[in-house]
Amino acid sequence: MNGLDQDLKYLQLIPKVVNNQKSKLDIPVEEIVKNHLEIIILSLLLEKSMCGYDLIKEIIARYQVMISQGTVYPLLYSLKGEGIIHVESMKGDMKTKRYFIAEDTRNNIEKKINGFIKTEEYILSSIKNW
Amino acid sequence: MKFTLKDSIDGLNELFKEEKDIPTGSVILVTGVEGGLKSGLVFNMISNYLARNNKYALYATLEETEESHLRNMTSLGIKKPDRLHIFDYRDVRQEWGDEEPDFLKVTEDMINFFTKKYADFDIFALDSLNALYSISANINPRKDMYRFFTMLRAKKLTSFLIMEMHSPDRRWLINSGDCIERPEYFLADGIIDMLYKFFFSKF
Repeated sequence: MNGLDQDLKYLQLIPKVVNNQKSKLDIPVEEIVKNHLEIIILSLLLEKSMCGYDLIKEIIARYQVMISQGTVYPLLYSLKGEGIIHVESMKGDMKTKRYFIAEDTRNNIEKKINGFIKTEEYILSSIKNW
Repeated sequence: MKFTLKDSIDGLNELFKEEKDIPTGSVILVTGVEGGLKSGLVFNMISNYLARNNKYALYATLEETEESHLRNMTSLGIKKPDRLHIFDYRDVRQEWGDEEPDFLKVTEDMINFFTKKYADFDIFALDSLNALYSISANINPRKDMYRFFTMLRAKKLTSFLIMEMHSPDRRWLINSGDCIERPEYFLADGIIDMLYKFFFSKF
């Protein structure tokens, strides 16, 4: 398992940990997913190309959180506009647009996700030192 | 000198007597018959305003694709500024098919997305309310529109909601106290009614 796979697995563990907690002091997993939606979408697109529909369904499957189409699609268009992700049209398929990460940006995105995970780990480890 | 929305179209400022501009956070209904240049007017106003102000705007179109809308606007000589974003719902509608989402909520979430992304996002346009109603199965115009209009004002967005009037004989509703059928009229802060005239020639 390479570093990126480990990082992705780490991301996938989040809901299992948080969803097991039921008290009022819990931070809802929905809030965490929404706050880090760009990183989560980029990590999913590193795995494989997907359309908006597939991304939303995958987020539901992994985190049991429904993210609105009104949030995901503008984010995809924005990432595409900034050249971070690319899109290909699929003729004859209702899911007409599949977003993917091109080879020239893959490295930067992996660095961004790794940086995010390291920062989160640092913050998590520091707040556990009570 | 500040360039305001009322300066964005020649002659529009003549309609304003005491007001300095369309007040920020107002919800303006833009009505008229099919082909009455409602979209062109709103898109032109926003484009001209953004060309002189460092602001962001969102134009949500349910009527046309982004490409088709831009083609029409280009044919009218209107150039889209970079800070004017267009969202056309096409991908959502195609991909979600039978699982058609609550488009009013999609629109609200989209507005929330732009509000978070751009601090200077302050103009929103929806083209059109009729299309929104036609693809939304369970909209209660009175209840849901009250909430939607309130949300737009709370976000301090100056909003233009385009609504097509299919028949001129329904215009009496504007001046009557009985607006039950079209609650948008009394919910709106202002109405731009695109009256049209037939021109006859002797050629």
